[in-house]
Amino acid sequence: MDKAAGSNVSDKHTDDTIVDIVFFKSDTCAFCPRAEEVLRETIQDFGPSAFNLSIVNVSQNPEAAEEYGVFALPTIMIGGISVTGIPEPEMLMKMILGCKIAKKRGSRQ
Amino acid sequence: MSDYEIDRVKTGIPGLDELIEGGFPRGDTILVAGKAGTGKTIMANQFLYYGAVKYNEPGVLVTLEEPPRAIKRNMLRFNMDLDSLVQQGMLAIVDLYPSKEVARVNIGEYPSFDLSGLEAIIMNHVNKIGAKRVVIDTLSILAYKFRSRDILREEFFKLTANITRHGATLLLTSEIPAQDSGLGVFDIEAFLASGVVVLYNEKISDTSRSRSIEVLKLRGSKHSSRIHSMRITDEGIRVWPGEISPSH
Repeated sequence: MDKAAGSNVSDKHTDDTIVDIVFFKSDTCAFCPRAEEVLRETIQDFGPSAFNLSIVNVSQNPEAAEEYGVFALPTIMIGGISVTGIPEPEMLMKMILGCKIAKKRGSRQ
Repeated sequence: MSDYEIDRVKTGIPGLDELIEGGFPRGDTILVAGKAGTGKTIMANQFLYYGAVKYNEPGVLVTLEEPPRAIKRNMLRFNMDLDSLVQQGMLAIVDLYPSKEVARVNIGEYPSFDLSGLEAIIMNHVNKIGAKRVVIDTLSILAYKFRSRDILREEFFKLTANITRHGATLLLTSEIPAQDSGLGVFDIEAFLASGVVVLYNEKISDTSRSRSIEVLKLRGSKHSSRIHSMRITDEGIRVWPGEISPSH
């Protein structure tokens, strides 16, 4: 898993406000470069410390795709929710905000 | 063997090879279609088990419908110990049963994806153990997982071509919906494959059913055009080549 921004997912931050994002792509996936662009453009306004973005290239790391049960690409996973295909930025924003709210609720309990 | 002679893969199903000139053509894609409870999963696993045990051909089982634990337990009932094959490196089981997905919810699917992830997962196992046989059980489950059928159809063609390109024989199972007369939920399953085998379990009276098997097509082979009796015995599926099914 490549460390793309912030720290790696496996290197857990203690800050509850940081959102973990995992982006699954492959060498042959024609839609993946555009999906990655949309993802990076959407999260850039939040600042670099708001996310842990991990990139999984399943061509190089098929075990990770099997472990996560991901076989359609591109897939973006935010919290426990995933989206497949080139997403609309609005969809990603909803997923990010949903994840942040869930984290806040979790930290209050 | 000349370039034009077809190399046959023994099916491991007693009686079936006699209907198809000795076995499935090596490197082809074979579809095993049938309604629920007709024996598709048993046939698929038997193909892998006896492929390894009798013919020394390693295999990969990709399970999308049932967890590996249940499959191993059910196949032990037919004296097929899949665990021992896994330990010997003759079988790899790829668990893509839905409950193991890490993302609990997939909230969206845009019609801009491919199945290169699935291909990478399968080919990783094929290359690791040098698999000569691959089973995907069952293709139909993907129809319920993804809405974009057009993309799936195209991706299936790519996937099956890439798996068989290096000589592995691919067996796909496909569930025929209860009231359906086609060969699967996509309507294209039969086109994907160069061979189609259909399993039946027809009610023949108020108190009994009869199992049978039909080789619907097998490119490059003179196969039987009859519907033959089939039974599920303590050793798995057995076909009676000389016996025509009473239900047809």
